[in-house]
Amino acid sequence: MKFLVTKDLAHSRLLAYLMGSVVFAIVLYLVMDMVLHSYVIGSDIAGIHSTLYGNAETFEEPILIDSLLLQVHIDLFMTMFALLILTSVYIRLHEKTKMLRVTVHTLLLLGITSPISLLLAYFGPEVFVYLWEVTFFVWHTLAFVVSFMIFRRLNFK
Amino acid sequence: MKNLSLYHIPIGYMLLYTVFILATGVWLFLLSLGLSGSGGIMATVQKILSSPEPKSLQHFMEVTTPHMFSMGALLFVVAHFMLFSTKISQRTSLIISMLLFVFLLFNIFSYGTISLGFVVSGWIKLLSMFLFVGMFLLLLGIVAVSL
Repeated sequence: MKFLVTKDLAHSRLLAYLMGSVVFAIVLYLVMDMVLHSYVIGSDIAGIHSTLYGNAETFEEPILIDSLLLQVHIDLFMTMFALLILTSVYIRLHEKTKMLRVTVHTLLLLGITSPISLLLAYFGPEVFVYLWEVTFFVWHTLAFVVSFMIFRRLNFK
Repeated sequence: MKNLSLYHIPIGYMLLYTVFILATGVWLFLLSLGLSGSGGIMATVQKILSSPEPKSLQHFMEVTTPHMFSMGALLFVVAHFMLFSTKISQRTSLIISMLLFVFLLFNIFSYGTISLGFVVSGWIKLLSMFLFVGMFLLLLGIVAVSL
């Protein structure tokens, strides 16, 4: 990535379109990731609770640890690459923004807390269910905001 | 002048993410070989050594195919940061990176030797996983030192 950082490409139309395209793909990924997790894990607290711990009234079995761990394993990989690309583009375009460090730290920290809290919710106290719900929603929202800020700064002329 | 130190933030977090990816990967592997049953990790390792779980070639391909791409890509992304290191020599980085790619292939294909019946004991998989994870952690360490 050295060439992206050091070469003077500030006025390159090709680079602007390339960065715009990859960020657009990441935005689509974020939307689909939210839909996927609402199917696999659940969209509300009751649904997530049933998925993780089962439901005696509806004879629902809890999710197998193998399936949950595989989802967490994939989430970590996908989140890492999506946020690595997103934050790199964001740093390139917004390096003089005051809140940059806080935004990047928050995004990457929430991104890793989310899958880990889902795993902890399976074994530990129920508070981790709420933690997963909050961190998952906040990191996706923050990633949308960062994507929007990137689009605003890109020069497509 | 661009502020290159800002890029240390996502790189640092990437190292942390990678540690968790490796940990969950090893955990998934042990689960698929009976960790969730009675006994702990040592009992599972003993079981892998004496009689590894028989797996079909289809199952082997289902696990191998995505890992071939994803582990190769992850390894490349992590190792390429060594190009910018001023603390570790390029020669050391080259040796570690190439050894890691060899261990990666060894790790991915080792269970195939069991599935195809070339090896009866599961020592080959344990050895390959130990070498790969150990070397990857070493690479993550030297990237962290270089930051």
